[in-house]
Amino acid sequence: MLLQLQAIEKHFGGTTALSSGDVEVNSGEIHALVGENGAGKSTLMKIVAGMLRRDGGEMRWKGQVADFSRPAEAHQAGISMVHQESLLAPHLTVAENIFLGREAAKGPLLDQRRMEAETRRLINEHGFPIDAVSLVQELSPAQKQLVEICRALNSASSLLIFDEPTSSLSEAEAAAVFRIARNLRARGMGIIYITHRLAELRPIADRITILRDGRTVHSASFGDLTTEQIIHHMVGREVSAIYQRQPPPLTSKSSTERPAERLRVKLPGIEFALHAGEIVGIAGLMGAGRTELCQNIFGITPAAQGSITIDGHPIAINSPQDAVRAGIALITEDRQQTGLTLSMPVRANITLAHLDGVTRNGFVSHTKEQAVAERFRTRLSIRAASVEQPVGRLSGGNQQKVVIAKWLFRDAKILLFDEPTRGIDVAAKAEVFALMDELARSGAAILMVSSELPELLQVADRILVMRDGAIVTELPRTTTQQEIMQHAAVAS
Amino acid sequence: MRASAATWQRLLPFLSLAALFIFLSIASPNFLTPTNLSSVVRQTATINIMALGMTLVIVSGGIDLSVGAILAFAGTIGTMAIANGLPIPIGILVGLLCGLGWGFLNGLFITALKIPPFIVTLGTLGIVRGVTLIISGGLPVVGLPREFESVADGSLAGIPSVLFVLAVCAVLTHVVLHSTKLGRYTYAIGSNKEAAVYAGISVGKYTVAVYAICGMLAGLAGMIEASRLLTGQPTAGQGYELQVIAAVVIGGGSLTGGEGSVIGTLIGAFIMGLLSNGSDLLGVNPYLQQALIGAIIILAVAVDEARKRRFRQ
Repeated sequence: MLLQLQAIEKHFGGTTALSSGDVEVNSGEIHALVGENGAGKSTLMKIVAGMLRRDGGEMRWKGQVADFSRPAEAHQAGISMVHQESLLAPHLTVAENIFLGREAAKGPLLDQRRMEAETRRLINEHGFPIDAVSLVQELSPAQKQLVEICRALNSASSLLIFDEPTSSLSEAEAAAVFRIARNLRARGMGIIYITHRLAELRPIADRITILRDGRTVHSASFGDLTTEQIIHHMVGREVSAIYQRQPPPLTSKSSTERPAERLRVKLPGIEFALHAGEIVGIAGLMGAGRTELCQNIFGITPAAQGSITIDGHPIAINSPQDAVRAGIALITEDRQQTGLTLSMPVRANITLAHLDGVTRNGFVSHTKEQAVAERFRTRLSIRAASVEQPVGRLSGGNQQKVVIAKWLFRDAKILLFDEPTRGIDVAAKAEVFALMDELARSGAAILMVSSELPELLQVADRILVMRDGAIVTELPRTTTQQEIMQHAAVAS
Repeated sequence: MRASAATWQRLLPFLSLAALFIFLSIASPNFLTPTNLSSVVRQTATINIMALGMTLVIVSGGIDLSVGAILAFAGTIGTMAIANGLPIPIGILVGLLCGLGWGFLNGLFITALKIPPFIVTLGTLGIVRGVTLIISGGLPVVGLPREFESVADGSLAGIPSVLFVLAVCAVLTHVVLHSTKLGRYTYAIGSNKEAAVYAGISVGKYTVAVYAICGMLAGLAGMIEASRLLTGQPTAGQGYELQVIAAVVIGGGSLTGGEGSVIGTLIGAFIMGLLSNGSDLLGVNPYLQQALIGAIIILAVAVDEARKRRFRQ
């Protein structure tokens, strides 16, 4: 037994990322690690690679109890990890990155030539289209991923962990990665392979471990499970009945009258409409282009091609200002980074997108502003000591309510919610859903991006599934998690 | 009720200023005299007025190194206009517009070319100074009417008139920062620029406005400086930018943006003014004076950081 993980636990502040991670990997085996977003796969592997310390459980490496406090210790033990997000230094060359921390030296000086030669050998061996002396910042995301792989190969001797290695690669490049994995297996190395793309695992994986909500739920020989069974284990839990939105009938009183179309989006690979009173869900895996879609519509990264129509009129949205003027709001995925000004009080955050609403003769009226803020604090039951409290001091759920209040005050008619429940507790989730429902009932059109399939099924009237930047199908609200996952994860 | 430690620390700049004032009143018989106090006011007025503009810039998360050079440019061109026969108020207006123009250009370079403010204003510091020297041929502008001197040296009811100018500028800047969209957006941009963009705020437009105002106030300071010397000095204001930035920072401004206030800045500028005046009166070695001011800057910011850390916990 090469690696043995037993009941590994990891907590970040109050949230539990891992409650019981169990994995056993042998030498000469490709071991697939699968699970939904947030199931704890990356956290578990970061613990193995010495990037995070575990809070509980036991790790055995080659039979010995092991505890790596730094990545360097894991390297020494022969463990390397190819990371999902690029951890390369953009201003250094490919060779310099591959040898970072393990530089070859001649006395006190770096042996630049040897490192470059070694790098070229590594690149040529695998037929990667990269140059040893180019700067990493000039490379494409796929090339960067290949550099990451070279770096890990350069130091791994016993165990190599791939964290979603093919998500940014073309088919040819992905094939090269599989070839590498097979070669290493033949040499007796252990490989852990994390991915969302179940289809690509079948030809290469020997065994599989499935994580759900921070625990290992199943471990088996890959051949013993069908794709449907794997998905069932990944999704597992029944849809919790905490909140279930009852959608208003989409056709109003007279059945011939359709509700007004608020927004129509036509982009390469994407076409859909949002109607007044409707909540449309967007499902898809990480990297499927869901956040990018929101940013296109909101003018953060205006799309080069395509059109956006609001209330039947085509409209050019080249900046967030254009979008806000057109009545669109984006409740971002990362509210601390892009949704709120944490050091400013609740009051100022609520009025930020619509200061004109509290301005008298060009001056911000503090009494008016206070009144507005108090009104929203009551209406959304934002729990804050006062509206003067800095938003950074509020809990995640209350912060999210402040973001929503900001757009309510702005009177936005089209709301794009990107992962609206990220990092907020169950009770606050129900409140956010109730608010979304209330908004829809009052005639707003809502787009809801979520990685939480149960939540999409609770709230959305219909669900669009995205894969590789395109909408691949539309499913009714009566669909199942299995069906969504099949469209999102399995290439047709 | 006992005031919390945080409150005390927040009041520290003001308490330091008061302590310094009391100490100097006791230590030197020449300190608490109308002549000395009005000379302190006159000496610090230019730095103070520039520091008001710098407060806006620093709150927005930027920096302006070109204010000293703009002061010289505005003073030189403004006095040239007066020396060539234009009425004094028009000359002052010319000086203000010169400052406004350079500030506007600073803002434009920063937003349109997407160059960090430090680099842009380091560049314009050189450009503006160079252009000033070229236009003036390196020579001071002389032959100004006596009445021009009264701008800086005049008094109203025994109070130096520059104090009124400073007070008006300070009140206006305070109102802008706290009661206008411009001010609110300045704080928002400095605290979290990305969130401001996502809120649909035209970040570029407001950034340009902030630098334009800073430039204009440097222009006004230039005219006051010229009036005090009764010449337009193309070499005036060298190194002022550092004193101005120091005043804002001592007063609680944060170079990472989002923090700073007019009152803090005024206190910061007066602390520096009193330190320099007090050292002169007490016969402190002028070299030591420089070191002292440097130490005060570090001390003030260290205390402020400690307060903020406590607040974050």
